[in-house]
Amino acid sequence: MHTDYIHIILADDDEDDILFFTDAFDELKINTRVNTFNDGEELMNYLNDDESLMPDVLFLDLNMPKKTGIECLREIKTSDKMSGIAIAIYSTSASEEDIEKTFVLGANIYIKKPNDFKKLKKVLSEVVSINWQYHTNALNKDNFLLRL
Amino acid sequence: MKLFLKFDFNTVSKKVLESKFNELNLEYKILGFGEVELLKKIEPEEYLALNESLNDYGIEIVESQKGILVQKIKDAIINMVFNEDTDLKVKSSVYLSEKLGHSYGYLSNLFSEITYSSIENFIIIQKIEYSKQLLLNTELNLTEIAFKLNYSSVAHLSTQFKNTTGITPSAFQRIIFKRREIAQKKPN
Amino acid sequence: MKKKYLVQSTSFLRFILLLSLFVILVIGGFTYRHISNLTDSTEVVIKTYKVNVELEQIVSYLRDAESGYRNYIATKDTFYLKPYLNTYKKVNNSFLRLKGLIEVNSEQQENLKVLKILTDSLFSNFSKTNVFVKNDETNTEAFKTLYFKEKIIIDSIRRQSTVMFELENKLLNIRQKENQSDLQFTPLFFYSVLLATLILIIIAYNKISNDLKNIKAKNDQLLIFKESTNQSEIIGNHGNWIWHIDSNKFAYSDNLYRLLGKDPQSFEATFDNFLKFVHPEDVDKFAEDLDKMIDVEELPVTNYRIIQKNGSIKYLKAYAKAFYSVDGQKRLIGNTSDITDEIESILTLEEHNLELERNNKELSAFNYAASHDLQEPLRKIQTFISRLEEKEGAKFSDSGRLYLERIKSAAARMRLLIDDLLQFSRTNKPDKEFVSADLNDLFENAKQDVAEIISEKKTKITCDNLPKATVIEFQIQQLFSNLLSNSLKYSKEETVPIIKINYTKVKANDTPDLLKASKSFYHKITFTDNGIGFDQKYAEKIFELFNRLHNKKEYSGTGVGLSICKKIVDNHKGYIFAKGEINVGSVFTVYLPVN
Repeated sequence: MHTDYIHIILADDDEDDILFFTDAFDELKINTRVNTFNDGEELMNYLNDDESLMPDVLFLDLNMPKKTGIECLREIKTSDKMSGIAIAIYSTSASEEDIEKTFVLGANIYIKKPNDFKKLKKVLSEVVSINWQYHTNALNKDNFLLRL
Repeated sequence: MKLFLKFDFNTVSKKVLESKFNELNLEYKILGFGEVELLKKIEPEEYLALNESLNDYGIEIVESQKGILVQKIKDAIINMVFNEDTDLKVKSSVYLSEKLGHSYGYLSNLFSEITYSSIENFIIIQKIEYSKQLLLNTELNLTEIAFKLNYSSVAHLSTQFKNTTGITPSAFQRIIFKRREIAQKKPN
Repeated sequence: MKKKYLVQSTSFLRFILLLSLFVILVIGGFTYRHISNLTDSTEVVIKTYKVNVELEQIVSYLRDAESGYRNYIATKDTFYLKPYLNTYKKVNNSFLRLKGLIEVNSEQQENLKVLKILTDSLFSNFSKTNVFVKNDETNTEAFKTLYFKEKIIIDSIRRQSTVMFELENKLLNIRQKENQSDLQFTPLFFYSVLLATLILIIIAYNKISNDLKNIKAKNDQLLIFKESTNQSEIIGNHGNWIWHIDSNKFAYSDNLYRLLGKDPQSFEATFDNFLKFVHPEDVDKFAEDLDKMIDVEELPVTNYRIIQKNGSIKYLKAYAKAFYSVDGQKRLIGNTSDITDEIESILTLEEHNLELERNNKELSAFNYAASHDLQEPLRKIQTFISRLEEKEGAKFSDSGRLYLERIKSAAARMRLLIDDLLQFSRTNKPDKEFVSADLNDLFENAKQDVAEIISEKKTKITCDNLPKATVIEFQIQQLFSNLLSNSLKYSKEETVPIIKINYTKVKANDTPDLLKASKSFYHKITFTDNGIGFDQKYAEKIFELFNRLHNKKEYSGTGVGLSICKKIVDNHKGYIFAKGEINVGSVFTVYLPVN
């Protein structure tokens, strides 16, 4: 457990969204390290590498080329090494059913990408802080569901 | 096949601590959740070794006095929420200042300073956490849970649940049960 | 019913015939008996006369003998003894005859015996007295005694014969009386038996004529039926055929020829001739089906195609069943109908349906894709605007800031539209799961969805206890939350919004709204508010997509929310109605079927 910073990964194929995301964390002044990947395959290659550092929170866009967010989610949840990672779905929109489906598949957080940068910052900081709560306050991670 | 476990974190933590302290031959006394008194002076090397071995379990030694007090506040809140004997009708501010011997204003400021969130928020998180456990592991329905956790109404609990987690209690219950169903179908 | 009647009729006639035969036999028997009785009684009369004649003869012989004997005694001339000597023989012959005649009657037998004894004693007396006469001692006392005795015996004989005679007459009388009564009864008996027979025959005749009438009526009906069958075959495009299995002969109805595109009875009805019309691709199957039919005695409906002489292809459907006639001959009675129109209309319908389904799918896919994919660029525009405003806002001129505000609100409006459209297209997806759900939970969730506005407007919401129902959970929650948000959106500005949700279970028959409903029971849920209401003339329009009753400056609706409600209720095979009164409020009534 690295206590000096929070390791965050975002997998999203949209440049603008990556820009908003990294900008938001820059402005939040939380001690974070953000890695980004442009598609699911790239992400999984990284995660499957033994050398790689596992993230504290993984943000997954659902619509990605090569490997969709759902496929990544399934793979991660079946892997012993990765199943502990807190997963935040980071998507444009979905129906209630689709949201429930991702939760059932093992996602912990579902974020609908906000329309407003301020809101984005608020949402991301909330994710990090609640995730932190789960780490530090003996909360049951299996029951960690959050929708923002 | 998957098993679903209900943890008593107190006991688990206590067992972990006992084994670790025994491993390093330290004389100790567990005072409460997250509080251990060392009965003999500890050498710096021993302290580092203890810290390292506890870190494996995600346990940290909180160093500062403020940090210790915050931990005590958290322990008190967890105890208050999860312990069935405590009277939830007593105001939490009164309960905390009585139990920890400081004014609630002091505790509240200290807590915000260290954790970047409020005591009230922490209490809510713990209460929602407890209600999650009750939803999943008991036959109690939401009304009974609301009563048990001293909410003024079911609506109050479900609003707070929704505000904290973004989903309704019934959706939460449904999702976790579906997860278990899927896990049980998979031969593991 | 008719069959039973016929059976009854047949057995009834058989019964009448047997009865008549029996009666005739009885009459014959009786007649024979009577005639033989008659003959018997005539014989008895003759016999009685014969007995009387014999008796009289005996008496007269004896009288002759006696008178001759008296003369002999007086004259001593042996000439007078001659009758006496003849008499003995004659009397004995008469006795023999009498004995034969009166065998049956014991009393008369006894009498005869007595007469015989008397006669014998007379003859012995004669012989005795004869001795005296020969010796000429006729003056002796002994002779006189004997002579006297002789007289007594003759008198006795006379008496005895009279007794016998009378007895015989008496017997004759009795017999004659018996015969007479017999003869008297006979004609009456014959008459009544004949009468009974006559009645039976009349009944039988009546029966037969009734039956004949029935048969004639049935025949008429049969003719009518045949004609109407002909007509219905023409109208209904079907024909029938009979296959005499034993003789392997076919008979086709006129219309069957027409179905094949031929004039009635224009070729010989045979299996091979029929097969010539069957579509080459269907020949094997058709022949196979027909073979099967002989074994199983019932041809399940079989479909095949034929090609008419002019080349047009027709779809035929045939069904046949084995039928055994009274004489045990096996026949297959079949019916073949031309279902070309049916098949063709089904095919076109299927095609249309597919096309419709395709169009619908495309449309909803388009709708979904459009609204879903439009979200992303819009979100970016909005986020960039927010960045621009935050970072560069200060540098803008007043008009620049105004434009920015306008862009912001236009984008926000677009967002609203896209969100609603997306929501609408989601309710359009067909593959939804119906589950049993507590509507109270769904209503609570719906309230959570709009909790912010509820508390903001300090809305009072009361809700009856709702039932459990089999629904698409997300959609019903959406329905409730749309209705709530509709009431909240169109609330009066200075009044605390009050929304009442009432529930009753209703019977479709008793509810005017549900006259065309397919189920018998419905959950009726009403949402009543005290908002601005609407003119009742728009009650149906408000459910149409993009239909708005208000300027978008006044109220922020997109005209999609209630369309979604309608869609959801339609998906549940329910009904939704709106009732409004301007400045008083509106009532939305939802009917969901009770499963």
